[in-house]
Amino acid sequence: MITVNLEPDGTVVELPDTRSVHAVLNKLRLRFTMALVVRNGELLTPDRKLKDGDVLMVRKVTSAG
Amino acid sequence: MKCTRCKATAHVALPSHHSGFCKDCFPLFFTRQVETAIRREKMFTHDERILVALSGGKDSLALMLELHLQGYDVTGLHIDLGIPGSSDKARAKVERFSEKHGLKLEVFEMEKWGLPIPDVKAHVRRPVCAVCGKMKRHHFNRIAVEGGYDALATGHNLDDEVARLFANTLRWDTAYLSDQGPVLPASDGFVRKVKPLFRLSEFETANYAFLKGIEIHSDPCPYATGASFTGHKELWGELEHRSPGQKLQFYQSFLKNGKPAFAAVERETGAELKPCAECGSPTSAGTCSVCRIRAAVRESKAKAEA
Repeated sequence: MITVNLEPDGTVVELPDTRSVHAVLNKLRLRFTMALVVRNGELLTPDRKLKDGDVLMVRKVTSAG
Repeated sequence: MKCTRCKATAHVALPSHHSGFCKDCFPLFFTRQVETAIRREKMFTHDERILVALSGGKDSLALMLELHLQGYDVTGLHIDLGIPGSSDKARAKVERFSEKHGLKLEVFEMEKWGLPIPDVKAHVRRPVCAVCGKMKRHHFNRIAVEGGYDALATGHNLDDEVARLFANTLRWDTAYLSDQGPVLPASDGFVRKVKPLFRLSEFETANYAFLKGIEIHSDPCPYATGASFTGHKELWGELEHRSPGQKLQFYQSFLKNGKPAFAAVERETGAELKPCAECGSPTSAGTCSVCRIRAAVRESKAKAEA
């Protein structure tokens, strides 16, 4: 299970059977230049692999308004 | 993915540049893009004083820090809009950021000037975002002119510029299409306006802000109602995904091939500007729209209180 903290929404999403950043973004319906993906303070590119229990911060970059 | 420059693990993938960068090399890429923008568009020099509009968002703060790191003489300007529960947070972030990096900051308070934005929302029938934007542009320009600054820099990025160009094109708005661009030269009563981030996408600016540890004000304005630009940005995000590099190409081709034609039309038919009868700011009407709005709010408040 991958835990995703979505910003700036402030919501938490749990994603089962998700093994890469690319897969996380697909499940969240985000193109990969639309959000930053961070694990333990490190920015991740879409090709990076994930492991069960990883906690991610996904920050959408489009400013509202 | 490996860093295009040093071959370490990449942290930022940039399909529009067919490259990726690690956390140490990405800020260098960002710096080069800003340097190129300033040099090619002749925005300003190291001898000039630059006023930087700071909203507290990632773009304006990233711009301020980058220009400071490049050795430019920059002063930040934040406008406190007076919106309860929102403006105080944005202002605090700008003040903390400026203090942390030892940057000069001016704060202008709409409430002290007699027109906090909640009053505009309550007393003006036009969309509050349009009026608020007009007020901010008026004060940015006025403070830059009065302070003797050589240029006013804003954090507009490539996505902002493309979304605006797209909206102007949908309406074939000749006046706006005649002068949209990364540099608006100074003219009577107007300071030179520059957008040094115009070559960088919102994604690239967000990565820079994250890597530089910039704490940003990311709460949307409580008065914003999903402005049309946000929808345009999403459309362009899809186009860019299918065809990386299309945004910059659309914008740069407009500057080269489209803008001169619109500017020629506007020279023939555009309105002549004169100083506002009340505040002296340039306007095509006798009294500028900011002074008219201010008077209308005053009148409406007086009626409501009577």
